[in-house]
Amino acid sequence: MWLVVQKELKELLRDRKTLFFMIALPMLVFPAMFGAIGYFTSKALDDAQNKVLKFAVLGGQHHPELVQQISDDASFELVSLAEPTDFKQQIRDKQLDFVIELDANAAGAVLDVGQSTVTLYLNDAGLNMVETRIKEYVATLNENKRQQAFETLSVPESKQLALLKPVVLEKDNIAEARENWGEKIGGLIPYMLFILCLQGAMVPASDLAAGEKERGTLETLLLVPLDRTQLVLGKFVVVLIAAIVAALVTIFSMGFWGLMIGQGMAITFIQDMMTQIAVIDYILMFVMLVPVASIFAAILLSLSIYARSYKEAQSYMSSLILMVILPIVVAMAPGITLEGIWAWVPLTNVALAIKELIKGTMDYFALMGILTSTLVIAGGLLAFCVYWFKQEKVLFR
Amino acid sequence: MITVKQLAKRFRVENPKKLTAQEKADPRLKGPFFYSVEDVSFHCEKGQVLGLLGPNGAGKTTTLRVLSSALKADKGEIAINGHNVADSPAIARKSIGFLSGNTGLYGRLTGRENISYFARLHGMSAKETEHRVQELSDMLDMDAWLDRRSEHYSSGMKQKTAIARAVVHSPSVVVLDEPTTGLDIMATQTVMDFIRHLKAQNTPVIFSTHHLDEVAELCDQVTVINLGRTQYMNDIAQFRGAGQSMNSAFMNILRGEG
Repeated sequence: MWLVVQKELKELLRDRKTLFFMIALPMLVFPAMFGAIGYFTSKALDDAQNKVLKFAVLGGQHHPELVQQISDDASFELVSLAEPTDFKQQIRDKQLDFVIELDANAAGAVLDVGQSTVTLYLNDAGLNMVETRIKEYVATLNENKRQQAFETLSVPESKQLALLKPVVLEKDNIAEARENWGEKIGGLIPYMLFILCLQGAMVPASDLAAGEKERGTLETLLLVPLDRTQLVLGKFVVVLIAAIVAALVTIFSMGFWGLMIGQGMAITFIQDMMTQIAVIDYILMFVMLVPVASIFAAILLSLSIYARSYKEAQSYMSSLILMVILPIVVAMAPGITLEGIWAWVPLTNVALAIKELIKGTMDYFALMGILTSTLVIAGGLLAFCVYWFKQEKVLFR
Repeated sequence: MITVKQLAKRFRVENPKKLTAQEKADPRLKGPFFYSVEDVSFHCEKGQVLGLLGPNGAGKTTTLRVLSSALKADKGEIAINGHNVADSPAIARKSIGFLSGNTGLYGRLTGRENISYFARLHGMSAKETEHRVQELSDMLDMDAWLDRRSEHYSSGMKQKTAIARAVVHSPSVVVLDEPTTGLDIMATQTVMDFIRHLKAQNTPVIFSTHHLDEVAELCDQVTVINLGRTQYMNDIAQFRGAGQSMNSAFMNILRGEG
């Protein structure tokens, strides 16, 4: 069997296509992903913060000082509205970034006129900082009106806060930062791990059985005095190694590039996230991936054994990607946790377990159950693969 | 020495409803099974070359696959040097060297690596393998290019490598399934020379082909298979008959006039 493994590995390492999917792709995906997300997010936020916003005011006569204050800010540009006008359409057409409407009470003292409303019209569908930036002026307006009221009522400074908020609800979120961001992005990591693992194994799996049939080498190989179980196990080991290498490179790449880009681009979020995951959790993620890789290797090799040609094998495998994506996407859905039935759904349970490992909330005892059940499935599929390889009707279709 | 007696190999028909009228009328279709080989017998002594002839779909390739133990026989007996293939397939595999016209190589391996891999799979030690590969390289004049990746070989180089691979374990019997199909003149010549060499070494050769000129040139015995059955078995002189061309003799046998 090891002779087969040795030879197949030698061939594998001489195949540029395999090396690309197994090593280069996982190495490139993470810098591309982290870099692109970090760069575009910070650039978009920066642009939104510094953009000169065109605005118009309705009811400006009710508080001309406020209008003047905003207009004096270099990052705002006041535009006069023609009467009558459809200012909402102008916002949709991007001629204006926002419009504020002041009511008649805008400038009056709160004790005389009561509450006042400032209405902000904007297109809030995309990333923008309009509300944040205009809130600063409204906050100042509020503060001024409050101070004026307190002075009129002669409320001592020490009681002012209590008057504004007699009862305070204090929230103490005991979830660690890691758990918070793990919940948000933890589902994405197994998604990428599984897909890259599958990609890494697809090319060698296609080549090792269907490719051999197509080249006419399989028949010659079947005539050597080696048991067919050993032949197929040798091939399985190579496909498994390819999948695991792809997974290892993926995890290494994720850790390495996460830290590099986090430091290089001063994205503390990514840096914090990567450093908070313990080494043991990275190891456990890898351990969980081994049976998953075995499942992929056994299924891919079985499909390849059945196919008459490399092309036919690839077409079967493309459909497999969709079948793998489904259980992982389920694991990413909100409200799906590693409890009840989901702890027993193959692939979904591993994806959820990896998410829990990232969050730092994994119950390691439950992990053993998931690992065992996944290993049993992998063993069953491998047994099928060996049986399949011994079928004349499959080999000589 | 090879003896094949009343060999039969059947396959289950996957989609009986998809069979054409002509396929349904084939006498080899029996219930859910199609008998690719129904009753084939022949015998080949040491130093003899046996030509296995027959039209396309006659059952030649299936016969040779069963003979080389790639497929299991459903009925009949195959003995190679006295060993029953069904009882001891591993011994049979060690005894047989197999080559066909569409046998490929591992393109990303060199010719030397291709041959050595099979030598090792046949249980030869690293030292034995090295020695034997060099011996074959000298014999087939492969030294100049043996360490280049085989994906860059010409058809002649590929066929020489495939020949070396087929006999690297010094088999006592060689089975050739249409070994010259799709080859150019030079590569065909390499195969013909190889068969002559085997014959000179007293190695029995079973040789299936559609090229009757090759049969005339090389074979001592002829067996014609038609519709999965041995239809004719005799020596080459009897096959030709008095003044007949090889083609006429073959057609007469197929028509049942031989």
